[in-house]
Amino acid sequence: MSALKLLSTPLNKENPITIQVLGICSALAVTVQLKPALVMALSVTVVTAFSNLIISLLRNTIPPRIRIIVQLVVIAALVIIVDQVLKAYVYDVSKKLSVFVGLIITNCIIMGRLEAFAMAKKPWPSFLDGLGNGIGYGLILVIVAFFRELLGSGSLYGYKLIPASFYEMGYMDNGMMILPPMALITIGAIIWIQRSKNPDLIEKQ
Amino acid sequence: MFSNRYIIIYSAIMVLVVAAALTVVAVQLRPAQQYNQRVEKMQSILASAHIESTVKNAEDLYNKYITTAFVINEAGDKEANANAFETDLSKENSKAVAERHLPVFVCINDSGSLYYILPMRGKGLWGPIWGYMAFSSDLKIIVGAMFDHKGETPGLGAEIDTDKFEDQFIGKSIFNEQGEFVSVKVVKGGAPDGDTHAVDAISGGTITSKGLEDMIRDGLSPYQNFFQQIRDSVSSQNTSEE
Amino acid sequence: MENLLNLFVRSVFIDNMVFAYFLGMCSYLAVSKTVKTSVGLGIAVTFVLLITAPVNYLIDTYLLKEGALAWLGPEYADLDLSYLSFILFIAVIAAIVQLVEMVIEKFSPPLYNALGIFLPLIAVNCAILGASLFIQEREYANIGEVSVFAVGSGIGWFLAIVSFAAIREKIRYSNIPAPLRGLGIAFILTGLMAVGFMSFMGITL
Repeated sequence: MSALKLLSTPLNKENPITIQVLGICSALAVTVQLKPALVMALSVTVVTAFSNLIISLLRNTIPPRIRIIVQLVVIAALVIIVDQVLKAYVYDVSKKLSVFVGLIITNCIIMGRLEAFAMAKKPWPSFLDGLGNGIGYGLILVIVAFFRELLGSGSLYGYKLIPASFYEMGYMDNGMMILPPMALITIGAIIWIQRSKNPDLIEKQ
Repeated sequence: MFSNRYIIIYSAIMVLVVAAALTVVAVQLRPAQQYNQRVEKMQSILASAHIESTVKNAEDLYNKYITTAFVINEAGDKEANANAFETDLSKENSKAVAERHLPVFVCINDSGSLYYILPMRGKGLWGPIWGYMAFSSDLKIIVGAMFDHKGETPGLGAEIDTDKFEDQFIGKSIFNEQGEFVSVKVVKGGAPDGDTHAVDAISGGTITSKGLEDMIRDGLSPYQNFFQQIRDSVSSQNTSEE
Repeated sequence: MENLLNLFVRSVFIDNMVFAYFLGMCSYLAVSKTVKTSVGLGIAVTFVLLITAPVNYLIDTYLLKEGALAWLGPEYADLDLSYLSFILFIAVIAAIVQLVEMVIEKFSPPLYNALGIFLPLIAVNCAILGASLFIQEREYANIGEVSVFAVGSGIGWFLAIVSFAAIREKIRYSNIPAPLRGLGIAFILTGLMAVGFMSFMGITL
């Protein structure tokens, strides 16, 4: 596969969230606003890319019996580094993300990609695959956060977008969008749109 | 294909490398993290006295407005070798009252008014809550309050950190007419009009409101001897002026 | 006592692991095809939570927290190892899952046959790591609170997956728009269930 293809398939046809159903756990709770979602997307991308790279470099030395533990240790170490960096440089966002940074460890995308790709392929393609999957995951996160913040708080990236005159005319922010259920329903809608555009993705009955 | 010996050596090396790498990162980044926590604390203290600050100017503003900060004990005497800003309330609260370090921050704002800012920390339903309360120089009224809790999913958490809730405390008093300490109550269903010792509870957060009430009472009651000293000195000043 | 009861009700219904925090979604979506398997997984999760959460709490309190090592001597009182918590928590979880699997296999083969296949899945279930991280974040005061929270979260998760599986069994016969089939409707269903669970928020505790 060409480098470009490695990067681009996870964005749509092989999207980790909407097609592979991986890594939903740690992420939806951070999609209330755009900024934490972006930071989360970036963190996950860094962790997937580098864990793929490291495991791929080590792939011939890892004893199969302790394979899972080695993978977990590498992932956990990377996540700790990311967490420490966030706490040092974007403190306000790291407070909002709270435990969800730690939960990147159990994000199934990362383990999934390590098992399915990095254990068998060369470092450079593995790195790209990790990068692509991280971005594909981040893309969904950002789309969800975009709608939830815009409709739920009338702002984007913390800036108020809906003018005050709208509110005077009776416009109200949809408080429902801020609550957890709407994250799930938004993803459902994204899947619906994506699959109607790509009929070959529709599940068989 | 891999011997047990290989596996053991492999895991040992892996653990060592990972531990070393993490320790280096943690040690390198610790100063920046501690700085962030300090700035956040400074911003909270300033906010209780209605001084707006940003991450950038918090330290300057803090040094400008918080003119002195000291630690007292329950008897009201100053503890010379303790730092008010570095005092960790979560540790102090687990000690007996008589052994606690009680920090006091003194703020003088642009109009020259002097405020006493006292910290407090307690327990909400879902984890710790904390805050700062600013009192006028004669301690008669509360001039500002600032509360916070650990952030989780918005909308589910108790909304004690909103301006709407915090501003209710302005103008309230923790002493009754006889000058006895009565704290401020958080009343479910709304405080009666004109009650200077009560505020409205947050809706749907009974336990957090209760926790907040306890936090204010338990956090301020060890200061009673200190309060008495301040009020004595204020009233003696007033008499000498007359 | 009253406090513990509150905590229990809250962790089962209001702050449900799946509906409020999206934790454990991967296995929730993957293993909810039939009620029978989801009951098995639900029990296994509750069981593992009940063991790992208190263990991780003890590790955090006596090894990792700032000043936690004071029992070793005053010179260790300033040590703060909390940056290692992610890696230790996940290691403990992986080890305990392995241990539980071996113990069950030895002493109760029928139980092993029922739960066995789910146990390895659980090590990377975010709900397990999430519970440990929540305990650390929310500073629970003692091991009683921690255990109650762990059981409550486990039961909440159990309830979520079993009721979801029951709905899924029925929905197999419904006529769903093709692009929504499978994953899409699963998300929307979960969202609607979460809306239902949110009505518990009105219970004032």
